[in-house]
Amino acid sequence: MLVFLARRTVQMLLVMIGVSILLFLLLEIDIDNLAIKVLGPYSLPEARELWLTENGYRDSIVVRYFRWVGGVMVGDFGQSVIYRVPVSDVLWPRLANTALLGGLVLALVIPLALFFGVLAGMREGALRDRVISVSCILTTSVPEYASAPLLTVIFVFWLDLLPGTSNMVGGFQWQAMVLPVMVLVLYDFGYVARMTRASMAEVMTTHYIRTAVLKGLPYRVVILKHALRNALIAPFTVIMLQLNWLLSGVIITEFFFSYKGFGALLLEASLNGDIFVIEACAIISVVVAVGSQLLSDLGYAALNPRIRIH
Amino acid sequence: MAKKTYTDSAGKRVHPYVPEISDLYRRGKVSRRDFLHTVTLLGVSAGAAYAFADKVDGVKSLNPIRQAQAAEKGGVLRSAMRVQDMSDPAVFDWTPRSNQARGIVEYMTRTGSDNITRPYLAESWEANDELTEWTFKLRQGVKWSNGDDFNADDVIHNFNRWLDPSVGSSNIGLFAAMTTDYDTGQKNDDGSPVMGKRMREGAIERVDDHTVKLYLNSPVLSIPENLYNYPAAIVHRNFDDEGGNLAQNPVGTGPYTLAEYEIGNKCRLVRRSDGPYWGPEPYLDEIFYIDLGDDDNAAVAALASGQVDHIYELFIDTIDVVERLPNAVLHEAPTAQTAVFRMRMDSAPFDNKQLRQAVAATMDHQKILDLAYRGRGVVAENHHVAPIHPEYYKLPPLTRDVEKAKALLAEAGHADGVSLNLDVNNNNSWEVAAAQAFREQAAAAGIDIKLNIMPGAQYWTVWDKTPFGLTTWTHRPLGVMVLNLAYRTGVPWNESAYSNPEFEAALDVASGILDVEERRKSMEKVESILQEDAIIAQPLWRSVFTATSKRVQGYKAHPTFYHQFQTVWLDG
Repeated sequence: MLVFLARRTVQMLLVMIGVSILLFLLLEIDIDNLAIKVLGPYSLPEARELWLTENGYRDSIVVRYFRWVGGVMVGDFGQSVIYRVPVSDVLWPRLANTALLGGLVLALVIPLALFFGVLAGMREGALRDRVISVSCILTTSVPEYASAPLLTVIFVFWLDLLPGTSNMVGGFQWQAMVLPVMVLVLYDFGYVARMTRASMAEVMTTHYIRTAVLKGLPYRVVILKHALRNALIAPFTVIMLQLNWLLSGVIITEFFFSYKGFGALLLEASLNGDIFVIEACAIISVVVAVGSQLLSDLGYAALNPRIRIH
Repeated sequence: MAKKTYTDSAGKRVHPYVPEISDLYRRGKVSRRDFLHTVTLLGVSAGAAYAFADKVDGVKSLNPIRQAQAAEKGGVLRSAMRVQDMSDPAVFDWTPRSNQARGIVEYMTRTGSDNITRPYLAESWEANDELTEWTFKLRQGVKWSNGDDFNADDVIHNFNRWLDPSVGSSNIGLFAAMTTDYDTGQKNDDGSPVMGKRMREGAIERVDDHTVKLYLNSPVLSIPENLYNYPAAIVHRNFDDEGGNLAQNPVGTGPYTLAEYEIGNKCRLVRRSDGPYWGPEPYLDEIFYIDLGDDDNAAVAALASGQVDHIYELFIDTIDVVERLPNAVLHEAPTAQTAVFRMRMDSAPFDNKQLRQAVAATMDHQKILDLAYRGRGVVAENHHVAPIHPEYYKLPPLTRDVEKAKALLAEAGHADGVSLNLDVNNNNSWEVAAAQAFREQAAAAGIDIKLNIMPGAQYWTVWDKTPFGLTTWTHRPLGVMVLNLAYRTGVPWNESAYSNPEFEAALDVASGILDVEERRKSMEKVESILQEDAIIAQPLWRSVFTATSKRVQGYKAHPTFYHQFQTVWLDG
């Protein structure tokens, strides 16, 4: 178990190093534009050169890379070019906002998807299954950039029930969370529910379930004691994958509602070539991706006693 | 012959042209707008100018600066606008930055949404007959928020900064008549020295504590208007010594100070409490800028649900929604805002004039206006002077001529057609639509335009380098202003690398003529040369739109989106 954890951690570090080097090289091409962005498009070439030298951008890439890595070790991600503050000053609040959004979405998606998925998978092909399956396909096939304006038209312009944007400059407002959460839940829940349904339906056809039914156990007991635990293994992996999606896949939703989250930050940084912000976002994404995989493996073992971690 | 001096009823000297143009106006030779525009530029107060015009016309106009009757004091105006870095007003390159700073630092003059320029920190001004010496009387009793008196040293310090090439201010193009050329010490590719512009010795004089005098190389009419250009806000004389950062050290003469500031998120200006403001107290207690990103729909949704009271700019595709919102008001301002398909004269194949003319000849201006901007504007004529400019000279209308374009293309050595890459930024959807429409039109003559559509942030790093690009240009109150900024040799914003001595000589003449009729005549040559050289193909002049909630009173959309909230108040 410990060996497994150690191996995963080393793996994660290697991925991080790889990604950060690639990004560094990629953004290297644009280094002169950094000075233009900071000093303005009408600044003199000499002034730009001076700024680049003073801020260490003219040092060799190796020196700069290790300086940056050294900073990251102690939590210093460098200085943001567009926001003109240390990267961590924007990064952590943005990450917290996205964690809140993602947390709320998962808190709704997991019970909803599991409940309807199990309900549908219990009797494959029955009317109940058909209704649930079709609804899930419908909600999942409407992308966020379509459902966000639609829900805004209904709840903001027509019913006048909810605020139209969620930027929350005046402090936290729970009403402002409703629309972004609704958009993401609608998009995501159908997918997880369908996965659960498929898994459940498969379990229901196995011999041990048939045996359980044949030996006269009440249907409720068959479902809760025999089917459910096995049926949850596949959806569990799917749910863990949603963590990654919630981190960077929410760009459209955050942008639409001007929710100041991680996705919106990554978008702005990429559009403006804000090197250190992009690097920091990439590092966070790697941690979340590898971390969720780890959790998923551990969870797998807990759910399925046949799997052992070495 | 002794020079005659004219004085007004109070014994103050007035420019000799004022009585003349007043006479012309009385006889119906100049329009009301031209009259108001010119006399206020020459230092007559807007009140007196309107009163004279009213007397001649026998009407009682609503003076746009009159005090609102039922105005209520107090409240927070929440405006949806990008919040950007605002450290140094001299290098502002986006209007939102200047709006954030507008409540803190002020300008020498102020141009209203009616295109009339009025006194602001300058109390009055006058020019010599040749328009080469301008004397500005500064307002007395104006205090900086740190307690210092505002005086001539502040103004001189600002001119020094603007015209110092190491600061990198675009004002250097507007005040080119106060500069001299110098060798930057660098070499062009051909070995010739790279020349730059910097302030000429003795270009500004401190006459006394509250008077400064500008000495120009060549006549310039638009000095008062240049002083309201958005990077021309006056900062304190110790601005550079005290850190050179307005956001960290918001010292200003304006009625507000900076309370909260977070780039990309919010900027809150609150009425300052350290000593009284020199002018009439504004009604609003606070101006709160909220950054809702680049998505127009977010701002409209925020207005619909009462999260903001004002939207900085509405794009053409969202005006329908706003018109249907029960609690919103749409504001429209006709402008000289445009976008030009500009060809860089020093890059192949655009170094060939016939090729450029062929590109321009394929354009159907009216069709692009209808397709890309729903016809809400007027057609342009490839010379960057708009019909709303006072000196606009009407040239024969341009018509699309595909056969001529083909012939020109053949002359340029591209008889089999040519393929061109056009850089377009996607900040304004109408520009993308205009580029697509133009591509169709050019294709008919065998010109294959490949669109390279990119985000605004990316475009603005190549806008002055790319051989072929569609660049947004903002409104300026006089036609000669943008020509001076963008089409003179070596000025920072000369994105097309245009260099034509004949054009510059004609522009010098036009920029120095006071008489509106005469200046208009001289513009014929300026406009024709630019049109003939086909540096730009320019489809349209567009109206612009902003929106407010119904609570907002006393607001008028400004053609350049400059925020003038001193007359704005909130109902209820």
